[in-house]
Amino acid sequence: MIKGYPLSIFWKSVPAVLLLIFLAPLGFVLLSLFGEFGDNWNHLINYVLPNYVFNSIYLVLGVSALSLILGVGTAWFITNYDFSLRGWFEWAIILPLAVPPYILAYTFTGLFDSYGSANELIRIIFNLENNFVIFPNVRNIYGAIVVFSFTLYPYVYLTTRMAFLNQSRSLMEAGKLLGLNNQSLFFKLAIPMVRPAIIAGLALVIMETLSDFGAVEHFAVQTFTTGIFRTWFGMYDLNTAMQLSSMLLIFVTFFIFLERHERTKMSFSYSSSTFKKTKKTKLTGLKNVFAFLFCLIPLLIGFVLPIIELTNWALFFPSENFLSKNILNSFLNTIFLGILAAIFCTFFAFYINFLKRFDKSYLLKTSSQFLSLGYALPGLVLAVGIIEFFAFLDNNFLKHFLDVFLVGSVLGLILAYMIKSYALANNTIESGFSRLSSSIDDVSLTLSKSKFEIFFKVHMPLMKTSILTSLILVVSEVIKELPATLILRPFNFDTLAVITYVYAAEERMYEAASPAMMIVLIGLVPIFFLSKTIRYSRPGTK
Amino acid sequence: MKKEILSVRSLSFEYEKNIEIFSNISFSLNKGEILGILGPSGLGKSTLLRLITGLEKPKTGEISYYDSILSSNKIFVPPNQRGIGLVVQEKALFPHLSSLENVKFGIKGSNREKNIKAQNFLKLLKAEKFADSYPNSLSGGQQQRVAIARALAPEPDLVLLDEPFSSLDKDLREELRRETKILFKKTNTSSIIVTHEMEEAKDICDKIIKLEQGKILNLTI
Repeated sequence: MIKGYPLSIFWKSVPAVLLLIFLAPLGFVLLSLFGEFGDNWNHLINYVLPNYVFNSIYLVLGVSALSLILGVGTAWFITNYDFSLRGWFEWAIILPLAVPPYILAYTFTGLFDSYGSANELIRIIFNLENNFVIFPNVRNIYGAIVVFSFTLYPYVYLTTRMAFLNQSRSLMEAGKLLGLNNQSLFFKLAIPMVRPAIIAGLALVIMETLSDFGAVEHFAVQTFTTGIFRTWFGMYDLNTAMQLSSMLLIFVTFFIFLERHERTKMSFSYSSSTFKKTKKTKLTGLKNVFAFLFCLIPLLIGFVLPIIELTNWALFFPSENFLSKNILNSFLNTIFLGILAAIFCTFFAFYINFLKRFDKSYLLKTSSQFLSLGYALPGLVLAVGIIEFFAFLDNNFLKHFLDVFLVGSVLGLILAYMIKSYALANNTIESGFSRLSSSIDDVSLTLSKSKFEIFFKVHMPLMKTSILTSLILVVSEVIKELPATLILRPFNFDTLAVITYVYAAEERMYEAASPAMMIVLIGLVPIFFLSKTIRYSRPGTK
Repeated sequence: MKKEILSVRSLSFEYEKNIEIFSNISFSLNKGEILGILGPSGLGKSTLLRLITGLEKPKTGEISYYDSILSSNKIFVPPNQRGIGLVVQEKALFPHLSSLENVKFGIKGSNREKNIKAQNFLKLLKAEKFADSYPNSLSGGQQQRVAIARALAPEPDLVLLDEPFSSLDKDLREELRRETKILFKKTNTSSIIVTHEMEEAKDICDKIIKLEQGKILNLTI
């Protein structure tokens, strides 16, 4: 790290300005804590708050454990072993990333409710009575844990798989020579070495779980987010809803700093030049079956089943065409917003992490950490913060000088998406940079290259996969984002998520199926591309 | 009389406040000379090289290169403007570039000139056979040959080598340091080599200094 080569104030001020813009809506939310605590707090504390806290923690623990097993397990098998259909799983395993938890929740109840498709099918096949139910009730916290885990585990898979791919074979060989068996190699060598990647992936899973509203509401699980929503729209108490949001934000902030602290304790740099590619071990017999099923089950639950149900609804009960004007407009709006937000997020994440390589100042480090906090905000609270922030700017400045209004413009949406998705871009870019040895920067500088040249000639080509991953993660996040879009969208401006929600809320599942399918299909295009790129992500691999 | 190329005067460095690595270090290097810096690990040998390249800033003291001051209380020339080559132990080859492209990286001029020069330096280091290979397909010794060629290709008057041969096996290490010495003498390139092996220092260097408890000891060969 080049300590003696400070950056100019101008370059360093960009993250600070961005942080100020990001913090402003959060500031409006947190300010509510200093306001009056209304009478509704008595009701909350006595009756529902313990439930919100307990359920949120229980949900996070359950989803973390299951996502960890699924994400790390699949990444390990696919990277290190040769088993039936491994090549196919290599790209297919991240397909559930295209299915938002709320869509999986809708299809889960459609499949497994007492009179859902799965129970109906069993009754028809085995000629059973009409009230015979084989599948357990999924409208509870366990159903929510399954839904979140089977849609979010690809975050853990992606970060861990990238780390496993960069793990040199010689390290594993050294472990074997020191007497470690396969099990010990996995737990004592492979896992500790990729711990930062696992934590990064898990952090994404946890933050996504905590900020979801659609799925938990569908399963009637009382969490912080449903509590905020009910306090706002049920009790019409925006101030208490904001105060609840502040508490959630403080809780998540603590978690993020804990995660960052853990990550800084372990600095892993892979010396790229001495890398030896992992040699896959061929599995046969029961081991082959086990690896095959281990990869098949999450794919089946997280992707195949919801697709079957959505296709069933969309094709056999069609009420709105894929190419109808309504859906086409929503599609174009969604793509426009997604690409714009992804470019902004990735650019700033790359820029700030690049600066961090050359300047270890506290300001830069904390800017980066705080910028990632927005992911933890429930979309609807973030939306209120932005509306209040924009209204403040409109009323005090823009109305008088420029005669334009930010409230109700598409800028609110872009800002909301950037705040919510920056952590995705940052985690991916930061993880990519952590694998680039700082010696590469040192040598580039001694070869008379400016930082600008190092940015374009060294970091950009070496970070291609991370940049692409970041773009894709942000686009797929924006496509799925629901509550913030509902509140901030300009008049008559629908996205696919909005029309899916509107139909689903009215229990018009057949109508909701087409836009839901489109969300999944749009999410699939970059995922196919990503799978292929990750396969060849090792720098220097042609 | 030999011309002085590098002069280090009263150099002190601390990582964090009150954690002093070394203090008041002075030495000089003449044109075409090879200087070895010996000493146990963790005493600041590599840091000394980083200070000379400008990758770290000294607490006090002055570093001059020919007649210009690179580093003092008032002046600090950034590393990309010093024109001093660096070879590190882990080679740090750019994994997305072939050997030839790695060597071309620091050369200035037209693409044709860069190609000719890079190929020449690869040939000097007996690395022309793997010009089109990527770093991950090269052995440790081959990678180090490319790394040295890359540092020499911009034709700096001074090249710093931080334990360049330590990751290689004994035979290869001896072969490469013999060739490196011949190459440095042939191109009249001054160099400073950090090592913790006395035998290596004696074999390749014209003079040796030893870093011990933050001070310098001059050793005669």
